Amino acid sequence: MTTTTSSRGRRRAPSRIERAAGRAAALQKPRVILAALLLLALTSVLLLDGYLRAEVGGDQRVRTGASSSEVPDAVLDGGPILTFRGGRATTVSVPDKTIALTFDDGPDPTWTPRVLAVLEKYDVPGTFFLVGSMVSRYPGVVRDLVRQGNEVGIHTFTHVDLSYQGDARVRREITQTQLALAGAAGITTTLFRAPYSSQTDAIDNYSWPVYRTLGEEGYTSVFVDTDSDDWKRPGVSKIVRWATPEDGEGASVLFHDAGGERSQTIAALPKYIEKMKAKGYTFTTVSGALEEQRGGARAVGGTTGRLQAAHRPATGVTLYEGKALVAAVAVAEWTVPALSVGLVVVGVAVLGRFAMMLVLARRHHRQRNRRRFSWGPAVTRPVSVIVPAYNEKECIAHTLESLARSTHPIEVLVVDDGSTDGTSQIARAAADRLGMRNVRIVRQENVGKPAALNNGVRSARHDIVVMMDGDTVFEPDTVRQLVQPFADPRVGAVAGNAKVGNRDTLIGAWQHIEYVMGFNLDRRMYDLLRCMPTIPGAIGAFRREAVLEAGGMSEDTLAEDTDITIALHRAGWQVVYEEHARAWTEAPGSLKQLWSQRYRWSYGTMQALWKHRGSLTDKGPSGRFGRVGMPLVVLFQVVTPVFAPLIDVFTVYSMVFVDLRAALLAWLAVLGVQLLCAAYAFRLDREMYRYLLMMPLQQLAYRQMMYLVLIHSCVTALTGGRLRWQKLERTGEVGTPAGVGS
Amino acid sequence: MEGPVFVDTSGRRSKVLRRIGLLLGAGCLAYAAVLGAAFMGWGTDLAPSSLLPFGDSARGGPGGLRPAGGYGDPAGRPSGAPTAAPTSDTVPTAAPAAAD
Repeated sequence: MTTTTSSRGRRRAPSRIERAAGRAAALQKPRVILAALLLLALTSVLLLDGYLRAEVGGDQRVRTGASSSEVPDAVLDGGPILTFRGGRATTVSVPDKTIALTFDDGPDPTWTPRVLAVLEKYDVPGTFFLVGSMVSRYPGVVRDLVRQGNEVGIHTFTHVDLSYQGDARVRREITQTQLALAGAAGITTTLFRAPYSSQTDAIDNYSWPVYRTLGEEGYTSVFVDTDSDDWKRPGVSKIVRWATPEDGEGASVLFHDAGGERSQTIAALPKYIEKMKAKGYTFTTVSGALEEQRGGARAVGGTTGRLQAAHRPATGVTLYEGKALVAAVAVAEWTVPALSVGLVVVGVAVLGRFAMMLVLARRHHRQRNRRRFSWGPAVTRPVSVIVPAYNEKECIAHTLESLARSTHPIEVLVVDDGSTDGTSQIARAAADRLGMRNVRIVRQENVGKPAALNNGVRSARHDIVVMMDGDTVFEPDTVRQLVQPFADPRVGAVAGNAKVGNRDTLIGAWQHIEYVMGFNLDRRMYDLLRCMPTIPGAIGAFRREAVLEAGGMSEDTLAEDTDITIALHRAGWQVVYEEHARAWTEAPGSLKQLWSQRYRWSYGTMQALWKHRGSLTDKGPSGRFGRVGMPLVVLFQVVTPVFAPLIDVFTVYSMVFVDLRAALLAWLAVLGVQLLCAAYAFRLDREMYRYLLMMPLQQLAYRQMMYLVLIHSCVTALTGGRLRWQKLERTGEVGTPAGVGS
Repeated sequence: MEGPVFVDTSGRRSKVLRRIGLLLGAGCLAYAAVLGAAFMGWGTDLAPSSLLPFGDSARGGPGGLRPAGGYGDPAGRPSGAPTAAPTSDTVPTAAPAAAD
């Protein structure tokens, strides 16, 4: 069976459209641009988030045993404050009986405020060497820090060992941290301490160039005299002891206010301060120590300005860029957790859906295939088969041929929707050739498929109507199987089992998997839950009176099949799925056609759901559908596809920033669950398993496509644009048909 | 129901959404641009460099005489942010910045 693309694409298109005012399903440029920009922003957010969460590790030396032959002796034997005045390296010691408290790796939202509280209580200042990524995440803490009169220095942005990094990286780390500080507290600083540094005698040939470069740019590098090693958590008394300098000497003392559990530091600090004060020590910041050494007045409880001499106010571009950075970080800090919630939602939905499908599909299969199962007394009376056709000259003959072989008595109504390729003539010729005497050809003007179907329903002579597409092929037993459920008087409509005929192309195979797993497994579930949202246009059967009561096929939506099905539910009819009634259909063969079809379907479904939103608050069967069926449909057909790509997004994110193997394994686990479900669906339908090989790629590609289609439909729905398949105005053909007796 | 579901022939919703879309797109672009610039450290040179006005620092540059404002030069000239009132850092190195 061959079809031309044009007949496939326009099969449903009424021609009385004002194309100038209409919009096509093709992607509109502004939307593509916006989508690309959103993707760019999302990528930026995720990259930023990963970058910020680079681990701040324990403060241990990373490089050991390197030579220090190129480091000047004066520096190696010198004090902890290193400057490069006039291009010459000079060191300054902390004056005797003075302590410069220094805290590395902050700010931390838990510990730093507690440190600040201790410092405030004892009225001593400290110098904090901050990590840029933490500054950008917790700007408020930095503001408090500075306001309280403490001094701030740079400890790089990502707590990296600078001796391993090139010039560009070193510069970037410093600059980024300055920007973060500017944004957080409106200052930049001239103090610097490298991660993994300690005393000056530990400077080696690899780290010395870094200090020299930074020094030439005006930074003052600060080292350590006594290391409390508090990050090792050795106990409060040891911390205090190790932090104490000998013999009344002055010292730059190292503590940590972040990077792990710091309760011991918090406990040790008051004890230490009291101990040193008892010995007659005073406390100051690094700048305070510098000033004292240079003969300035002793800053006893000195003015804040002196103690924060290393600070510079940030203005102009620096300030605004810094603020923008901090704001951007705040956005990322909110976005990633929000997306994680979305991921959880979709994870629960996907897994829940699979669990439900497996349970319910199994039950459905067993129930309907039990030997004793029957709908009631066999239905043997003739039924009407309506075949709406628009330019189906290639397929209509095959369709009629398949109907000629039907084992059930039928009358065939071919409704020619204003075809221009002689479909009617071909149909008449085929019917004559096949000796079919039960075929009526009805011609109408080109008003669209819903109107054609309504025409057929009105003209039908029997009380059960079967609706199919102009290019669907039935098996001989299809109609008989399809109409048996009507033996049960509660059944108002039956959905058949549509199968993809052209399943040997890539796209065909994808849709084959989708039809078997997605649609048919879903239908079993919806059948049992009594909330089937759609009867496939390719094969469905209705009670004529039910259709007429519901007002016929409506043109309000692009998915008139969904519309009528929901209407039947609301009227109290049962809609069931008959798996043995098979129809063969040709699925879209190219990505473009598939996109177009899915776009129509998804937009139409949203229209139908919105049209019937009143059922949420109705009573009776209508309310049941509104409160049970609709939420399920919305969850599985709207919410899940929209969030499903998060699975892939977070997998990539985790692979890059967290743990490559674990992330990959998780993704494969999800795929495994889907494969299991698909295999089960294939088994129930007795399809060949080899198509499942396509599944990984299909799931990945489909997830992206469905999400895009859905967003595209949502935007169209929001903007109120008209798609080219939608009619501009309604004609007299549409609406309540005249009540002709059956 | 007047016409198909969702279709708004007056085009009003479309205009509103177009505006929102523009804002959103501009916001995303600005976001990515800010992050890019911050990451590369563009827009301002933040080296504090010694601000002695007498060319004392190796890089030279009369930083101390610079007017206020961090609209620093592009990379290459150490301008940094301005000094506040002369602080102890700019005191000429008469004091023996001696080791030990």
